[in-house]
Amino acid sequence: MTQELLQYLFSGITNGAIYAVIAVGFSMLYSSTELINFAHGEFVMLGAMGLVTLWAGFGLPLPLAFFLTVFGVACVGFLFERTAIRTVRKPDHIVLIIITVGASIFLRGMGMLIWGKDAHSVPAFSDHPPVDLAGAKLLPQSIWIVLIALFCALMLHLFFRKTLTGKAMEATAINKKAAWLTGIPSEKMILLAFFFSTGMGAVAGIIIAPITMCSYDMGTMLGLKGFCAAMLGGLGSLWGSILGGLLLGIMESFGVGLFSSSLKDAIAFLLLLLILYVRPGGIIMAKDAKRF
Amino acid sequence: MTQDRIIYGIFFLVITAIGFAVENHYYLQLLTIIGINTLLALGLNMLMGYAGQISLGHAAFYGIGAYTTAILTVHYNINPWMSLPCALFLAVLVAVIVGLPTLKLTGYYLGMGTLGFGMIVHILFREWSSLTGGASGFVGIPPLEIGPISFFPARNYFYLVWFTVLISFVFCKRLIKSRMGRALRAIHDSENAAKAVGINTRNMKLEIFVFSAALSALSGFFYAHMVSFISPESFSFLVSVKIVTMVVIGGMASIWGSLLGASLLTMLPEWLHSFSDFEMVVYGLILMLVMIITPQGLTRGILDIYERSRTTKNKP
Amino acid sequence: MSDREQQKINHNPLLKIESVSKTFGGVQALRNISFDLHSGLIQGLIGPNGAGKTTLFNLITGIYKPDDGRIIFDNQHIQGRQVHELVRIGIARTFQNVEIFGSMNVIENVMVGRHVRSKCGFWGAVTRVPWMVREEKNTFDNAMEILSFVGIEELAYRKSSELPFGWQRLLEIARALASNPKLLLLDEPAAGLNATETRQLGHLLKKICATGITLLLVEHDMSLTMEICDRIVVLDQGKKLAEGTPKEVQSDAAVMAAYLGVEG
Repeated sequence: MTQELLQYLFSGITNGAIYAVIAVGFSMLYSSTELINFAHGEFVMLGAMGLVTLWAGFGLPLPLAFFLTVFGVACVGFLFERTAIRTVRKPDHIVLIIITVGASIFLRGMGMLIWGKDAHSVPAFSDHPPVDLAGAKLLPQSIWIVLIALFCALMLHLFFRKTLTGKAMEATAINKKAAWLTGIPSEKMILLAFFFSTGMGAVAGIIIAPITMCSYDMGTMLGLKGFCAAMLGGLGSLWGSILGGLLLGIMESFGVGLFSSSLKDAIAFLLLLLILYVRPGGIIMAKDAKRF
Repeated sequence: MTQDRIIYGIFFLVITAIGFAVENHYYLQLLTIIGINTLLALGLNMLMGYAGQISLGHAAFYGIGAYTTAILTVHYNINPWMSLPCALFLAVLVAVIVGLPTLKLTGYYLGMGTLGFGMIVHILFREWSSLTGGASGFVGIPPLEIGPISFFPARNYFYLVWFTVLISFVFCKRLIKSRMGRALRAIHDSENAAKAVGINTRNMKLEIFVFSAALSALSGFFYAHMVSFISPESFSFLVSVKIVTMVVIGGMASIWGSLLGASLLTMLPEWLHSFSDFEMVVYGLILMLVMIITPQGLTRGILDIYERSRTTKNKP
Repeated sequence: MSDREQQKINHNPLLKIESVSKTFGGVQALRNISFDLHSGLIQGLIGPNGAGKTTLFNLITGIYKPDDGRIIFDNQHIQGRQVHELVRIGIARTFQNVEIFGSMNVIENVMVGRHVRSKCGFWGAVTRVPWMVREEKNTFDNAMEILSFVGIEELAYRKSSELPFGWQRLLEIARALASNPKLLLLDEPAAGLNATETRQLGHLLKKICATGITLLLVEHDMSLTMEICDRIVVLDQGKKLAEGTPKEVQSDAAVMAAYLGVEG
């Protein structure tokens, strides 16, 4: 029994780390632009597909393929901000929701054109045998996923705390006008936020690629769940999003293991409703939810 | 008032004429689907366009309407006309239960709450296979009939749906022009000020949410009995988004905008079939472009262009 | 019953504030405030920034709930009641920054103000039963009357968001009047108005008072307050500093020090 529970915990943490990375992408963008990017899941898909092409297809070394994919996807995010978000004349939340949904359909369509309708798969990052821990099996890819997720979170944390650009971004997030008055180019900060946010999306796609089937439509559900995780932990807070992601992954894994696999997808949304009703700011309340 | 009556009269004649003129079975069905989607868009427009409350989960009510009537007529052999009130009642009940906590939220948070609700209902349709037939869908929903008149022929169904649309237009227009309609628009403009003039904003939002849910369930009912086969994919998150898009592209706070938006978004995929694999790309592009160019929706956008040209002409 | 209490009942104030306190996260915004509003008078509530005027205003209009104390309006306890319920029993308000319904025209704005005095709901609207049509006509006529009372009836069909600020303020007052209030609270009604408009506003407020409506002004503009108010309450740092006629208040030493001395 404990062995099974431990197994659920491992798979929960693995999935949770992926949700966490996706949630961080949502959160970052939200805190600097107050925008929720419904196309975020598609950037995750682009990340996974990028790895499929560059690593499994072209045979580039893994670190190079990793870096190029993240950079490439972030550039797509950059373009997306420039062409579709910056040009909006009436930045009303309904309008922005539809634009990002339009973008998600567009990107999914592009994914289908480029990579076809079939699912692809890539091998794990390293071919070590699974580690045996108290009878439960821990896949090396899981370790990779958690390590990379933690590394990204730490880097972002340091970036926001230690660098001037990071502080400027945070200032823009807290009060755009005041930041602009002190001479921070808020437009550049928003672009940067898009760049990082979509880059994080790509990271999530890359680390999930070996443990799932990669296809053009894999992003939608991942995006929505990452979003639930961000809400759960606290939209706009880095560590809140990580916490939310891990929590969601673990609860999903236990829910599936102990009850029924048909529940799997519902758990995220039940948690979303619960947190919205009880504590709309998330577990770590980053911003007052009633600000709108 | 009289102007409205003339417009309804024209609308009535147009429906009748189209019903007579169109022979092609396929086109009649397409037009009927447009009618069903118009009802959907109208319902959401009352909530979003007038009261200013976004819902990203309206496909759930659409689905509740369709699945309730499907289950009752097939599993329990109940007459469809008896299952209609049941479907409406269930939708209203769910709307009250979900609306009470959800409508406290505003902006993105309301969008997210309704999204979560829509996803849960969609998952229920998919996973509760003993009742709903699961992911593979639900077959054999009987066609509608009143006594000797069967609505199985496409033309009869076309009339049934479109006259329902006409009646709904009349009702919605009346609602907007009433005390309640003013209160809803007041909430949209400023919720604080609406409270300050004595509007019970919570009840008012709930009432319109319920009405909107009922209209969506009605469309679901028509949809189920028309196509006789339903599956969870017809009520997914993307469908909710499609309804929102119909409202926004057609024009928020515009009854005729709902008709325009529903027509465009129903016909668009038909045109896009010729693009085959490019369908999604083009659809996404169109969505983005319309929102970037005319964020007020097409009806408002066209009106703006018309008014601008008129004012420039009037200038000496 | 003591003589004092007997006297109070004879006075029968429209609104009684009884030792009301309110704290926001450790900051005491209002400390044990008590005063009465007498029927048919124009009264002013003044004080320097941060004195607690807005907090008190929000307590009376039901936006906040007092931590302590009682608020009695028209012999009913009203602390903790919902904003919309208070409008129904006769408390109307205007906003400092003017919150009109911008997408509607002027007459519709005033008709929304009639909300609590009419009752047609969903079914009445869709069926258009005769009493609903009658009620709608009454609402319209009444709104028109109020517009002409305020003096902007010729603007009835203009879009409200396109009006100049001064007229928007008049419209907001008209909307508040449409609910047939017993008490009208005005949050800095002179803010953003020029001297002429302020004078006209003063006339209008007196005219409203003459119809039997009690007014409470929260004001910064001293000239308007001193000119039209019958009584004034002065707040400073969450406490009541003085109360009385404009003359009494003006000559009060504590007020001079805390308020006039600072603001000149």
